[in-house]
Amino acid sequence: MNSIQMTGKTVEDAIEIALRELDADQDEVEIDVVSRGKAGVFGIGSEPAKVVVTRIPDRVLVSDNEFADSDTEEATVSHGDVIESGRETINKLIDLMGIEVTSTLRRADNEDGGGPLFEIEGDDSGLLIGRRGETLRSFQFLVRFLVSQSMGERTNVSLDVEGYDDRRKQSLTNLAKRVSQRVVKTGRSIELEPMNARERRLVHMSLADNDGVYTESSGSGNDRKIVIFPS
Amino acid sequence: MAQLKQLVEYIAQSIVTHPDEVLVTEEENEHGRVFITLQVHPEDKGKVIGRQGRVAQSIRSLLRVAAVKNGVHANLDID
Repeated sequence: MNSIQMTGKTVEDAIEIALRELDADQDEVEIDVVSRGKAGVFGIGSEPAKVVVTRIPDRVLVSDNEFADSDTEEATVSHGDVIESGRETINKLIDLMGIEVTSTLRRADNEDGGGPLFEIEGDDSGLLIGRRGETLRSFQFLVRFLVSQSMGERTNVSLDVEGYDDRRKQSLTNLAKRVSQRVVKTGRSIELEPMNARERRLVHMSLADNDGVYTESSGSGNDRKIVIFPS
Repeated sequence: MAQLKQLVEYIAQSIVTHPDEVLVTEEENEHGRVFITLQVHPEDKGKVIGRQGRVAQSIRSLLRVAAVKNGVHANLDID
């Protein structure tokens, strides 16, 4: 992952979390402040600060890029094309897998930069989620990859199966809260199970406002996990 | 009915630069295990494997779903 959009109470907060997630130093990235946010009065009318942090790719990384063959020219892809291509790719894969599900467009554009969001429902939805959402992530990865190939540029498409994503978000937020209470009570750090970047970001963010603890990611690749420390 | 071979074929052909050189073969042994072999143009091999094997891993994930629907086990070899 080389680019991440992050929100935080302040621009500094957002950048700090983003750097932690990318595992990068400030001099290795390009920072784009999307919104400075507003403090609001007593939290009313407040808006989070938003930044996009992109790792500056070194030459080796660029030549290794899966999208290296795609058009380097400034190609503008219409939003409708992305939705159409996403729908087509999803339905084709569903058909070839022979599973009993249907896909519907739930949001034309995801505000967190995830592109159009398709919801998948049906008898075989559990099969498509897989263990801890692994199959769903693979499915989403391939759909994005295939759509990006046909669009000629990197394109985002998001998938959710019967609200799995929302449920997972909720349960991660609850977990973060529970574990942080234990950390505060015992004064000892606790390590969570390995999570992907999105899930780690969610946990970091849900605890960013908690003064009793701070969070860090450790380990690498599929083994990267969050440790919650007492502060 | 899931189409194991066609699934791999469709994904591979959408990814590679030489789609006409995608060759997928399917063989089933007596224990209901299906062996699928994917052959692509040498230049395209990296593409169907992907960085850190991510593409190949995802194809295998979807293939597993299709195999479950067919009541078989499936293996994918990339040649």
